[in-house]
Amino acid sequence: MTRLFFKRFATALGRALGAAALAMMVVAVFSHGASAQNTRKFEGEIYRPGVWIDPDGCEHWAMDDGAEGYMDNHLKRDGTPVCHKVNTCAVVNTDQLFATDRASINAANRKRLEDFFRKAGAVAYGINGHTDSRASDEYNMRLSLRRARAVARIAQAVGVRVASVRGYGERKPRATNATAAGRQQNRRVEIMCYR
Amino acid sequence: MNINIRLIIFAIPLVVAACDAIGPDKSRDRGIDAKPLTELKAGIWVDSEGCDHWIIDDGLEGYMSARLDKYGKPVCSGVAPPNVATGPFKAGTQIFDPTRPSEHVTFNR
Repeated sequence: MTRLFFKRFATALGRALGAAALAMMVVAVFSHGASAQNTRKFEGEIYRPGVWIDPDGCEHWAMDDGAEGYMDNHLKRDGTPVCHKVNTCAVVNTDQLFATDRASINAANRKRLEDFFRKAGAVAYGINGHTDSRASDEYNMRLSLRRARAVARIAQAVGVRVASVRGYGERKPRATNATAAGRQQNRRVEIMCYR
Repeated sequence: MNINIRLIIFAIPLVVAACDAIGPDKSRDRGIDAKPLTELKAGIWVDSEGCDHWIIDDGLEGYMSARLDKYGKPVCSGVAPPNVATGPFKAGTQIFDPTRPSEHVTFNR
């Protein structure tokens, strides 16, 4: 436990040092070209990271400087992680599952989903609802969440663990909303499998 | 005596690490069980919120990073109870661990 504590302390220290180094670089960039009297010298050390890809398919910065190890998520500037093969184990097009503006699932589709959850064998599932860009953002946020909840209720009835249920409305399209085909792809419920 | 042996074993990687300077490229584990860091084997540690973190015991180095879904939200899978580390997080190293294993727990899920 003390070792883990040491490591976590080391990681925290590494982050603090990393932040300090970043601050120095920022200062260095902004001070470039400033008059000599305003220029101050700072020192940094080059820490070029490796990339470790987790079993879900997302990237992490990893560094070993010979004694300590450091790791942190590789995030884009919008705060979302950089991921490759993502563990989406099912994307259900909502046209097959729901009538327009509705969030109820008929018996045949319920059966299909029940079979899926019985067979998928994950530790837990994340369920994310999405819509196309027609109707208002607020309406779509509500509709996508209601639809995700409808799918989650079936998962829970089967007895599997639901880690999260979220509605993203029209905010995370996976295709263009300018064409009918694109809009159809955007109307979906994604089921993430956490193993 | 026992303690002395532990101290010695703990010191070996430090001595090896001190032998040569590590350059700017920190993407590899050097010395004992040398490998690129892409080959790290992770387990899951669950925080007190019930959310998952990748945990890796790589001999002398330890690594931890949040498990996030593709939208950046924490994954709280319930794979283990809070404050429990599970999975093959000690599988990626040959280095003998000088620390005593912490308390083992069994749990259902």
